[in-house]
Order: sequence, then C-alpha cells, then structure tokens
Amino acid sequence: MWNHVEQALHDSMARVTTKVAQMLPGVLAFIVALLIFFILAWIFSTLVRWLLRSIKFDERVGRGSGSLAELSPAHTPTMLAVRVVFWAFVLVGVVVGLSAFDASSPQPGIADYVLDYVPRIVGAAILLFVGTVLARFLSRSVLIAAVNLNLHYARLLSLGVKWMVLVLTAAMVLDHLAIAGAIVDLAFGILFGGIVLALSLAVGLGSRELVSRSLEREAVKTEDQPEEQRLRHF
Amino acid sequence: MAGIEIPTELQKKIEETGPVDLMVGVSGPAGEELCAKAAGSLHGIAAKTVVVYAGGEGSAPVSCPAPSIPLVAYPMRAAQSSFPLWADIALAQQSILALAAAWKVRACVMIQSDLAALNAETIRLFAEPALEGRSDLIMPVYPHGKYDGLITKALLSPLSRALFGRRVRFPLAFDFCAGAKALAILTGHSSSHNGNGSHLMWPANAVAMRGGQIGQAAVNVQHSIQTGDLELSAILAELAGSLFQEIETNAADWQRVRGSQPVSRYGGEFVLKHDAQPVDPRPMVESFVLGSRNLEEVWRLVLPPTTMLELRRLARMSAEQFRMTDALWARIVYDFALAHRMRRVSRSHVLGALTPLYLGWVASYTQEVGGATAEEAERRIEQLARVYEEQKPYFVSRWRWPERAS
Repeated sequence: MWNHVEQALHDSMARVTTKVAQMLPGVLAFIVALLIFFILAWIFSTLVRWLLRSIKFDERVGRGSGSLAELSPAHTPTMLAVRVVFWAFVLVGVVVGLSAFDASSPQPGIADYVLDYVPRIVGAAILLFVGTVLARFLSRSVLIAAVNLNLHYARLLSLGVKWMVLVLTAAMVLDHLAIAGAIVDLAFGILFGGIVLALSLAVGLGSRELVSRSLEREAVKTEDQPEEQRLRHF
Repeated sequence: MAGIEIPTELQKKIEETGPVDLMVGVSGPAGEELCAKAAGSLHGIAAKTVVVYAGGEGSAPVSCPAPSIPLVAYPMRAAQSSFPLWADIALAQQSILALAAAWKVRACVMIQSDLAALNAETIRLFAEPALEGRSDLIMPVYPHGKYDGLITKALLSPLSRALFGRRVRFPLAFDFCAGAKALAILTGHSSSHNGNGSHLMWPANAVAMRGGQIGQAAVNVQHSIQTGDLELSAILAELAGSLFQEIETNAADWQRVRGSQPVSRYGGEFVLKHDAQPVDPRPMVESFVLGSRNLEEVWRLVLPPTTMLELRRLARMSAEQFRMTDALWARIVYDFALAHRMRRVSRSHVLGALTPLYLGWVASYTQEVGGATAEEAERRIEQLARVYEEQKPYFVSRWRWPERAS
C-alpha cells in the first residue's frame, strides 16, 4: 500500500512540476513584456512632459474658466497628461503580456477573460478618480459656504457631503466591476440612508442646543439689523 | 474694439452725425426721465453732445418730444456671470466705450443707469478737465463716511494704488469720464480681455499703466446699490477676483512701478459724512474666529506659517482687544492674490476663504475709528494705503519666487 501512496505522490508532483514548467515561459513572457512597456512608458511620459512644458500647456489650459485646475488644482494638466500616457503604456504592456501568456499556455482563454475585464477596470479607475476629486471639491465648497453663512456646524456638513459622495462613488465603482451586485446595492442603500439620517438627527435632535444657539444668534442679528446696515461694504 | 459689434443702423447714425465733442453714456436701460434730465444737465457744456443708453430687443426707445440732445440706444448684452452685481455694468461700459471710439468723441462721461450723476454740476466736473486736456481720465470721489465702501477701503483702493501707482480713491466706479487718450487706452485694454463681461473694468489702473493723466472729482452723487439678495462673500469674490485677475494679466507692468503719485483734484474738498455711533465689532470677530477654526486647512495652503501664527494669536483675543495690523492685512491680501494666480487651491475656494479674514479687518477697523471723526478715519485709510506700498516688495518677491515661503 505504501508503494501506491508513494507512487501517487510521485505522479502528482510530476504533474504539478510539468504544469509549472509549461506555464513558466508564459509567465516569463508576461514579465518581459511588462518590463519593456514600463521602460517605453517612462520614455514616452518624459517626452510628453518635455513637450507640454515647452509649449506652456498648463498656462494655455488654465486660461479658460472652469478648467480642470479648478477641480483638481494639485494636479497640473501636464502632470495629468503625463500620468495618462504612462499608465496607458503600462496597460498596453499588461495586455501584450497576457496575450503572450495565453499563447504559450496549455489552456488558452485566460487572456480573453482578463482582457474582457480590462475596460471595466479602466472605467472603475476613472470613476474612482473623478469621485474622489469631486468629494474633496464639494466638501471644501460646502465648508467655505457654511462658514461664510456663520453656520457653526459647517465642518459637520462638509464631512457629511464628503462621505456621501465617497460612498456613492464606491458603490458605483463596485457596481461597474460587477462585484457582489445585490449586496453592494443593499449596503449602499443602508449606508447612504444612514449618513443622511445621521446628519438629520445631528442637526435636528443631537445638536438641538447648538442649532438653537445658532438660530438665536441669527435672530439677534436680525433685531440688530439697523446696526449691521450701518456697515456698507460696497 | 474686438468682440463689440456696432449694429449697422448705429454705424449709419455715427456717419450721419459726424464726430461729437461729448458723449454721455448710461450704463443700463433708461426711461422717459432721461430726456428731461439730459436737456437740463448738458446744455452749454460742449458744442456737440450725444447721450447713449442701453436699449435691448423688445424695449421701446426713449422718445423726446423736442430732443435738443440726441438720444441713441445701443444693444445691451447679457452678462454670463452668476453674480452680475458689476458684470452688466462692465458690459455696458465696454459697449459705450466702443461707441465713443467709433464716434471719435473728445470726452465720454459714463454714468450709472439711476441717472443720479446726470446733473449739470457733476457732468461739468467730469467733462471739462477732459475737454480742456487737463486730465485723460477723471474718477469720482463720492461722499462717504467711516463705514462706507469698506471693500474699497480695505482692498480695492490700497491694492490698486500700491501696484499701479496712482492714489485713486474709488478705482471701481459707476461714473467716470474718459478723454480721447484714455478712450484709446481703455478700448485697447478691453479688447485684450474676454468680451463676455466676465472681466470688470478698472479704468484708473489701465490708464495709469499707459502713463495717462488721472484726476479725481468730488461729486455730490449717491447711488443706491441693491445688494440685498447677494451674500457678502459673493460680492467680495466678484470684486477681489476681478482685481486679482487684472493684477495677473498686467504682471509685467506693475512690477516696475515704485511708490504712488497723487492725482489732480477737481471740485473742491471731498465730502465726508459723519457717523455718530460706533459699530459693534463682535459679530465680525465671531465670523473671523469661526473661519479660523474651520478654514485653517484652506488658509494654510495660501498663507505662510508666520501669517498663520499671527492669525491663531488673533483668534484667541477677545473682541475688545482684537486688532489686525495693517501689515498683516496687506500681506494676507497679497498672498491671496498670489494664490489666485497659482491655482494650487481652486479660485472659488480662495475667494470664499477671504471673507472671514476681511471681516476680521473690518472688526479691527471699526474699533479703531469708532470714536474718530471722518477726517481721522480718512487718515487711517491713508495710513493703510502706505503700508500696502511698503509691503509691495514682499509681494513682488513672492510673485517671482512663489516656492519660497517667508
């Protein structure tokens, strides 16, 4: 019997080793393709950066109103373009590497499965980027507007808006990636509704005294309006 | 003037009338009272005078039974700004200037659509220095008290003076007069900007940069500005944003200016109104403190560490002890102008975050001038303007080397 066990182990080791040996060229081809395209990405992104800086791309794009710089000021248009070029080359490298892996694989079809999923990944990445930028921009806009309206719960409002946008973004990304569809829908609904309810309760009940003090201050200001009106800002 | 098209009927009218000595432009629509007021105010000032007013599609032209002075309507363009406090007026002024250039006038008097400035004394004060060649541009000095025109006192006037080198009290005015030379400067200046009215007109700054002669006339005119629906932050954002944009556009010019020059004065002493009672600064101090607690993350992106330290110290002061020094306020304004240019923070956020700091300055100012006379308050504003000039090297160095923190 022990001879049979030994024979079975020997056979399975041989099969696994054979499978790994068969996959190894494909894996190596994938790594080589990725490395080559990483180098190409670096070269082309450097070229694009030099070109855009020489034509003063940032200044030209920044002249228009409502430009990208307004939404994401920390990322200059040049930097965004360079990053897009870099990651585009990396993505192409991944695709080429997967094709090379598939070509040398005893079980073709893996590449097709992954390649079909790549557009979803790209779309999800774009959604995530846009959602994050929008969350930051909107939360800061709400914060500044609330402070200028003398609302003492300005920071709370700002955080609420930020997290609502981020939760919405996360739900959209997961939905786009077709990951755990029904669970994500339910979780999003509960979480989003919970945030809205929490904000409402915080403003309506939990911070009742804060709100009533704020409202009292506004009422006092209204009674003192003749004094305020003596200040003419323009 | 690029972007301003004169309709064919108007061009025919210009050719038929020929060159005109004086044009009075109403920066908005006008009613039937324009006829009577024009006849009463403009008689005998110039040999040939024309009055233009905004007439849009669907609006009936103003008709005079016996027009002694021709009234001509120009097409009114709609402003694309969200907060058109000044945008409509700026568009109208650009249209009037284009017409004045086409008509080859010797002097163009711009007045607000409420026609408060349309009286003989005011028109003479504006028009005569331009017609006689004593000044190229005449700006008004309106009657004002300690608590009037605070944005102009705190920011628009001293900043324009320090950068563009002329001591103009109201650089952004509803009424002014441009002579032939100033007209050429202003029409050329406006054509280099976007013609959709998003840019306000800063006539004094434009003429100062081109070496024109500027004068100020003490006019007894009061305009009632309807700002009830607009928040202070919106008004401050529109005005400060426009001036910051003007500074960025003309960066090569104002960096060469050293100090400031006084301007010619017409019409006697400026009229100062006397306010009896001090104003309570506590609401403004509270607004500043609220801003300090919540907007530090935004201020930190705009202001250097030394300024942030001073602001934190201010936020701990009681309302009675609250004093924002002129040097601190001037540096804050300069840093915000730089942040507006650099765009590391969204421009709408930069301008919104300025409001609590402005209210801090107002609180400090009202405390200092509470018991002062109107003349003492004017000297206080003059002192602020000098500090802006002293701090200009700080601004120039930060403009040229923005990565260096002070």
